[in-house]
Amino acid sequence: MIQWSNILFDALWAALPAAGFAMIFNVPRSALPFCAIGGTLTYGIRELLLNFYSIELSTFIASTTIGIIGVFWSRKYIMPRPVYTVASIIPMIPGTYAYEMMISLIAMNNNGVTDMLLQNFIQNGLHAISILFAIAFGLVLPSLYYTKRQQPIL
Amino acid sequence: MLLDYGAESHLIEQISTRFGKALGCSSTEISLIPSAIVLTTLINGRSVTTTRRAHNQPINMSIIHQIVSICILAEKNPGNLNMVETRLNAIHANYYPKWLLILMIGLACASFSHLHGADWPGFIVTFFASATGMAVRIFLSRRNYSLLIVFAFTAFVCTLIASVASYHEFSATASVVLSSSVLLLVPGFPYINAILDAFKGYMSMGWGRWTEATLLTFMTTIGIILAMSILDIKGW
Repeated sequence: MIQWSNILFDALWAALPAAGFAMIFNVPRSALPFCAIGGTLTYGIRELLLNFYSIELSTFIASTTIGIIGVFWSRKYIMPRPVYTVASIIPMIPGTYAYEMMISLIAMNNNGVTDMLLQNFIQNGLHAISILFAIAFGLVLPSLYYTKRQQPIL
Repeated sequence: MLLDYGAESHLIEQISTRFGKALGCSSTEISLIPSAIVLTTLINGRSVTTTRRAHNQPINMSIIHQIVSICILAEKNPGNLNMVETRLNAIHANYYPKWLLILMIGLACASFSHLHGADWPGFIVTFFASATGMAVRIFLSRRNYSLLIVFAFTAFVCTLIASVASYHEFSATASVVLSSSVLLLVPGFPYINAILDAFKGYMSMGWGRWTEATLLTFMTTIGIILAMSILDIKGW
């Protein structure tokens, strides 16, 4: 049973981080709403697919979607694609996993290696890296297609 | 042609080649390493090579956008060197007002904590922690401290404030608050750029950016650990 309202609200919450982080990267003002929409879209798609697939696969599909949408948007408004795409995938970045990996690494140094810490380190690190790869591969797919066609996107 | 405000390598190469064509060079070759650009242009049978050092600037998408639009303009009316030069000089960074940035980042991290399942007191604490963290970050970057130190110190401050949540059982989800208040420091752009570069065949750039991002994460973690050891909090 999929809880549609939950997914919808979560996706709307994800618009805030997308827009906020887009502001750190100083995106042009006209692109801000699109970043927010992109963040909502990607997070919504991922949450929806999480009901069926693993987190990596659903992340990959979500970021591919925003990659393709970014191509159209960047053509329309003459804007390099990363402006839209990277801000939109910010809500999906596995920051917590990366931090936990580092923390367990430092704890291993301080308290000696235990099975528990080693397990934490490997598990979180693998999660972080595989999600990152899923995101990046999804974003890179559309532009790989265009390099095949030997024609710049913009 | 200094194009290093955190653009993707592929974009840098494409743009400079197109600039070269538009301005009448017969070929433009470029080589990139993380800290410099080597650019060779062939004009009237002679080759001109310049090397430019890339300064480590904060990521600024609006500058990249302006450069790209200038490039497209130059392609439409080729050979117009003066126009391009005046326009390149006119590039300015339109920064957002500071209070808005602080407010938005606070909200962003607070909604992260909400997404990860924190309760409302936790939401409020996260908001204040990350807003203060952002203020500290802006303040320190203004003074030209190294980015690594800025990140470590900001993480320290964030964790200190976020740990309020764990006192007196103010919030039932203190660990979520702790972890999501430092999310404003995740170097997402360098990580993504690194992988994108590597996928498109710029191995050295990819590794350079990956190392940079990993170092930033590492420094942030040191800040968190320092704060946690002072306050004697165990784990997330």
